[in-house]
Amino acid sequence: MEVTRGVVLAAGEGTRMRPLTQNRPKTMLPAADRPILEHVLDVLVACGLGEIVLVVGYGRDRVQEHFGHAHRDVPLTYVHQTKQLGSAHALKQAADAVAGATLVVNGDRVIDEQIVAEVLAGFGGEPTVSVLEHPTPSNFGAVRVSNGRLTELEERPEGGGYRLINAGVYAFDDRVFDAIARTPRREGEIQLPDVIGTLLDDGRVRAVTTDGLWADATYPWDLLYLNRELLARERIDGPAQREGVWVADSARVHERATLQGPVAVGPDAEVAAGAVIGPAVTVGRNGTVGSNVTLRNAVLDTDCRVGDGATVVDCVAGQDVSVGAGAVVPGGPGDVRVDDRVFESQALGAVLADRAAVGGGVTFAPGTLVGAGATVADGVHLAGTVPNGARVVR
Amino acid sequence: MCGIIGCVGRGEDTLSTLLHGLDQLEYRGYDSAGVALVGDGDLRVAKRAGKLDALKAVVGDRADLAGTVGIGHTRWSTHGPPTDGNAHPHCACAGRVAVVHNGIIENYQALRDELAADGHEFDSDTDTEVVPHLVEASLEAGRDPEAAFRDAVARLEGSFALACVVEGTEAVLVARNDSPLVLGVDDGATYLASDVPAFREFTARVVYLEDGEFARLSADGWHVADAEGTRLEKSVETVEWDAEDTGKSGYDHFMLKEIHEQPRALRQCLRGRVDELGGSVTLEELPELDLDRAHLVAAGTSYHAAIYGAELLCDVGVPATAFLSHEYATAPPPQEDATVIGVSQSGETADTLAATREARRRGAETLAITNTVGSTMARECDHVCYIRSGPEIGVAATKTFAGQQTALNLLCEYVSPGPIDRDLIAALRDLPSDVQAVLDGSDAEAVGEAYIDSDAYFFIGRALNYPVALEGALKMKEISYKHAEGFAAGELKHGTLALVTPETPVFASVIGDGELARKTVGNVKEVEARDAPVVAVTDGRSDVERYANHVLDIPETHPRAAAILANIQLQLVAYHTAAKLGRSIDKPRNLAKSVTVQ
Repeated sequence: MEVTRGVVLAAGEGTRMRPLTQNRPKTMLPAADRPILEHVLDVLVACGLGEIVLVVGYGRDRVQEHFGHAHRDVPLTYVHQTKQLGSAHALKQAADAVAGATLVVNGDRVIDEQIVAEVLAGFGGEPTVSVLEHPTPSNFGAVRVSNGRLTELEERPEGGGYRLINAGVYAFDDRVFDAIARTPRREGEIQLPDVIGTLLDDGRVRAVTTDGLWADATYPWDLLYLNRELLARERIDGPAQREGVWVADSARVHERATLQGPVAVGPDAEVAAGAVIGPAVTVGRNGTVGSNVTLRNAVLDTDCRVGDGATVVDCVAGQDVSVGAGAVVPGGPGDVRVDDRVFESQALGAVLADRAAVGGGVTFAPGTLVGAGATVADGVHLAGTVPNGARVVR
Repeated sequence: MCGIIGCVGRGEDTLSTLLHGLDQLEYRGYDSAGVALVGDGDLRVAKRAGKLDALKAVVGDRADLAGTVGIGHTRWSTHGPPTDGNAHPHCACAGRVAVVHNGIIENYQALRDELAADGHEFDSDTDTEVVPHLVEASLEAGRDPEAAFRDAVARLEGSFALACVVEGTEAVLVARNDSPLVLGVDDGATYLASDVPAFREFTARVVYLEDGEFARLSADGWHVADAEGTRLEKSVETVEWDAEDTGKSGYDHFMLKEIHEQPRALRQCLRGRVDELGGSVTLEELPELDLDRAHLVAAGTSYHAAIYGAELLCDVGVPATAFLSHEYATAPPPQEDATVIGVSQSGETADTLAATREARRRGAETLAITNTVGSTMARECDHVCYIRSGPEIGVAATKTFAGQQTALNLLCEYVSPGPIDRDLIAALRDLPSDVQAVLDGSDAEAVGEAYIDSDAYFFIGRALNYPVALEGALKMKEISYKHAEGFAAGELKHGTLALVTPETPVFASVIGDGELARKTVGNVKEVEARDAPVVAVTDGRSDVERYANHVLDIPETHPRAAAILANIQLQLVAYHTAAKLGRSIDKPRNLAKSVTVQ
């Protein structure tokens, strides 16, 4: 049975990515040179889908503006999920926009073309899910498979000897909407794995075991891992200037700047003399890197500015972040505190959320989180968490 | 303004191609529509007043309406009310000739009297109807269709883009004078339209017609000729805009989509033109430009950009004045050595073309600042600077205004005799992200809702914020149909203060905390003392918030960039006000996107 239509679930905020999600959903956070969701759409287009429905909600203006009316000539339709009541509720919103066999995929994970291609090839009318081996199934939806059939699915199991996880790529026919209607809500939400449970109760669910890149960013610092993976796999838009070095045509890189691959420099960016960038760095669109800046293992989203002589290592910066001259983010490892949890020894220098403005000479303890729109005066030493919009004067 | 579409070589898809083209031309504004097709030797016409759906309903009931050659039209009334009879195409007495027209035929009354005296009967009030009767008269005199059409056009005075079909001839004949017309060329099919989006889905290869040129489109191909029928060599160009750029992408209105596209539009405008680390601005397309003095000519929103641009140029020591283009064309001031700069989104604005043409006639150097590659103004002026905003469909200009302001900043720095202003260059590069910050955090919807029942809206500002006030008011009146007035803050107590009441919110754009800001805050106090609600658009550096009922924040930046940001808040207020009132936001009543008649 041929599947020509895809539904991409892109309505949730992705709260564990805060404070980076202040202005946009997790799907629009940077995976190297472009948003996570763009990688997902690229895969669906490469797999030959002729029509894509995007379920949008939180921060939907950003999604709609970025992708517009079509992606690489494949028409896009937007469906608005006004309240984010789970992934199955999101799919239900698209019921009127789809008919017949449909591929369903989460928009917040970078996946390989192979994963989608194998689900499309394996779909014969029965509900189909893709599964793959993962070193830590307990962080995801763990599954068991027997003879190509899904036999068990458990979200974030404690133990149980699982080795496979649900990759979040599904193919369904219309009957999935009936299954959604029969699946009870939990805490007011309906999630797709629960609907898979309903379908399992009904009978057979096919499991397609696959492999290939499947990269989930859960916390802000995971964007560094995504950046490294995508640079290493050369998943950068446009041709490389030389091995591992991508510089957009409209970028200006001074001849006395050093780019140590893998490095990507986006459109309209400017890099001054004496800067040393890389390895494992993406400078986003319209970024400005001052003279004698050191950047290593970092992803800077659109419109960031790094002042002369600054050092920025193991760092995630959202959009329009500015780092003053001579500021130092020396890099991880450090302990990161999120709400009541402490993540020990993460390879993180700092996370700077959208429009954070850090003055000259500011120094960062490893693992510092700076909230969206926060301003930090010259010369401050930062540690721990700076809330959104805060003004730090000393 | 009226829109024209035509095609040959589409076979059974001829009618659907015409209707698709009319859909794409809707944005120009219209009040009636129609099509004419020729097939198997017969000519068949369908037309209706009202929206395209009215025409489509008629077309759906007409099984006979088929053909392999066709023309279509959306009409924006100039002569005679919007009725079925006045809709185009118009036919001659025997129904053998059908014509669609955009423009105004100035000598139509004399021609009509003459034709009527010869026994021709007229069905409509339009100026256009003389054309098919002239063609018919010439056909009856034994001329072939192409010659008959040239004869008819030779009699016309005024502006026109014309397309004509004749029974028994599987070809479309077209002519152009002072109204836009472009051919689309594909393997096996040829199109014609007022604007590229009408056929962009089918081909990107286009031929721009010049004034005085004729073309014939048939299954055998196309050719362009002059008034004597001598064939002309024409170059085929490729347009870059994609058809996909013209969907609403999940937004309720094109206007809201275009407001949100502003960061992207400004990135395109700035691309390759500013070098922050090198400290320079370059406009590659203007290597020869020497600007000692400038007259900026424009109308509507573009005029507000022109006022802003004139102020920037004066600021760097280039004497510059903004003029309303229709006034400039009819009552031109002494020109001296001024370069005349036409500012027009479409590059087809008849009033502004008249001004740049008048300037050229008097020997001035001309520069077009426009969004439309290949437009008449771009081709006629000595120089052209594109704002690169991408297609704008909403009748109320938004992203192209920001694009014009940005391009004028680039022009100003490029021609500035003094040292480059590095803070400004940084501010221009920050502009896309600052616009995004306004879009992400705007309270404009709440402001729009709070004042939805107001009697009138006033907008004030000084210096660079004066055009912001004018544009804020224009946007409000265009789409909300509410009375709105913008003026220089200093004018307030010279008259308008008499109209200020608790039911008239006053929007004050106050940037920085210098003398200008303090003076505007003084005006705000005068308004507040009359119990009028105050909405301050501010970067937060002055104390205007103390006197304001609502505040719309913009990021701190260079004052020139701040004026661009302040306007975006006012765009959003107008949009949300109109949306709450349920107005026809993308196609406001009586208005047209591209004003191609004077």
